[in-house]
Amino acid sequence: MSNGGILVFMASLFLLLGYMGVPVTFALIAGVLLAVQFTQISMQSMVGQLFHGIDSEALLAVPFFLLVGELMASSDVVHRMIRLAQTLVGHFRGGLAQVVTLFSMFFAGISGSSTADVAVLSRTVAPEMDREGYDRAFTAALIASASTMANLIPPSIMAIVYGATGNVSIGGLFLAGVVPGVLIGLGLMVYSYVWGPPGFKKNRASFSELAHATKEAGMPLMIPVIIMGGILSGWFTPTEAGMIACVYVLLVLIPIYRPRHVFELPRDFMYAGLLYSLPLAAVAAASAFGWMVAYLRGPDIVSSYITGIAGTSGPMIMFSLVVLFIIVGDFIDAVPAIIIFMPIINKLTEIGNINPLHMGVVLITTLVFGLITPPYGLSLLVASKYVGVGFGRAVVRSLPLYGVFLLTIAFVVLFPDVVLYLPKLLLPESVGCFKAPGGAGYICPN
Amino acid sequence: MSETHFRSLVLDRHRHLKWKAFDPLEALLMVLCGVCIFMFTVSVFADVITRTLGDPWVWLQQVTTAFFCWGVFIGMAAATRRNDHFYLTEITKRMKGTSRSVIEALNRIVVLVVSVLLTYYGWQNAILDLGSFRMPSLIPLTVYTGIVPFAGVMIGLFTIEQLVNGLQNGFEGPEDLENIVTEGDSHE
Repeated sequence: MSNGGILVFMASLFLLLGYMGVPVTFALIAGVLLAVQFTQISMQSMVGQLFHGIDSEALLAVPFFLLVGELMASSDVVHRMIRLAQTLVGHFRGGLAQVVTLFSMFFAGISGSSTADVAVLSRTVAPEMDREGYDRAFTAALIASASTMANLIPPSIMAIVYGATGNVSIGGLFLAGVVPGVLIGLGLMVYSYVWGPPGFKKNRASFSELAHATKEAGMPLMIPVIIMGGILSGWFTPTEAGMIACVYVLLVLIPIYRPRHVFELPRDFMYAGLLYSLPLAAVAAASAFGWMVAYLRGPDIVSSYITGIAGTSGPMIMFSLVVLFIIVGDFIDAVPAIIIFMPIINKLTEIGNINPLHMGVVLITTLVFGLITPPYGLSLLVASKYVGVGFGRAVVRSLPLYGVFLLTIAFVVLFPDVVLYLPKLLLPESVGCFKAPGGAGYICPN
Repeated sequence: MSETHFRSLVLDRHRHLKWKAFDPLEALLMVLCGVCIFMFTVSVFADVITRTLGDPWVWLQQVTTAFFCWGVFIGMAAATRRNDHFYLTEITKRMKGTSRSVIEALNRIVVLVVSVLLTYYGWQNAILDLGSFRMPSLIPLTVYTGIVPFAGVMIGLFTIEQLVNGLQNGFEGPEDLENIVTEGDSHE
């Protein structure tokens, strides 16, 4: 069988098994192990590849950012951040919808997990939105859409996986994710203000209320400062920053705010331990799959097809990949998608002479959109389940919100200077700049 | 561990697909998941502290990686019994009767075959890794890769458990409705 034939067989088998209901991890492994039969590769080395796929220092950051989210959510420290969001934007039209979005921005700066964000909001703000007469389908759509910011605003698990597999600066990806993350947040707030349900009219919070809420939320909101401050100052790697954030929650926040929660910590660790293994098991399987794609010269086949359509123009290649990843993101989880397609992404980044950091943030923003699109919109599935509304209705209510995401993706593709402004300013090496020989400033590629 | 704590670690969903005899295994794997994430948190913390003090313990990084990788494969096994893995679709939950049983059984057979391959080739790979060592601690690579066949055995056991119970009692259970909120069920 030709290489292209084996690739099609392997991908089709994965999708067939996946849509029959075999867990993603096992469907990927089954596809790879059957495809191996048509090659010279030994089964043993392929099984070894599963282990090597997760044997990476950078991936260690994933459990820490999940653990921070779990600890914050289960210890209820997040309530303070919700109250701060309420005092800041609760008086606007559609106040609770604004609170959902603003809180998600805050929470995104602490946790890399969209599902933890969905769980917190569905448990706390959604019942209140119900009482104020918000349509449940809208509530689910908004919570799911807002939760996607967790994958853009640092720390982001997708950025960690992308950086670790694509050899791109994780700190740079964190910083580059700020612009699309904030754009999505602002877009959702504007939509809720103009077209969303009005909710109850509330008075603007007084200055003393705002000061009190800020003081109460001050310590939890130190976490993004610790994480980004540590990474940018060069004190910590992203993994170490995640660990420091965990230690801060464990040794400072929980003892001060929820001392009785200390007895629940063993349970939190056990569930966080299980929780992190799920995406990373998929990473292990996807890295074996991605390795096979590279071995079978998949990057050459797919890139020649894409350059046949888009030529070698950077923006055109990026738009082609955006279309491809919108389709892929509808069917496959983002983390395995990044790993499987990484050899192809690298090849096209080179052909289009695109800054790898720019390509990374474009693709992460696109994959984030996949979290709310059917049939595999994980955030929307979880939100509709928690809120108690049919997935189909939540999808219909999400349709206008898709505009926010598509506009953001287009912006990220077309305005690299804006998106890469922060990494260029704070972490110049991440965008390919190097120190000038004289020692003053940096020399950066155009 | 008290009876209450033990029970809280075993998921009661899909009880009709589980044997009580395997409950301690699920609880043990959950405890190991917690131990792994706790231990690598501690080892990364110790790594930062020793480095800050100017006397880094380089081997700590290898301890961290070991707990991290063990955690992933142990969690993979635990998630198999708890049906917690990521799915592209839960199409079977909308099915009933024979067609449901056939598809569910086929899915389990695929997982079972994968688990057998993981066990057999994972074991061979781990034996081969006895001759490879991690620098600078000279820990044999088997210490890391040995978790793959262990996970394979656990996954195989849990899959057989689900297959046998599913064929005897049917795969349908009350929890199927949890995931499917139809239009009529919405609370509006």
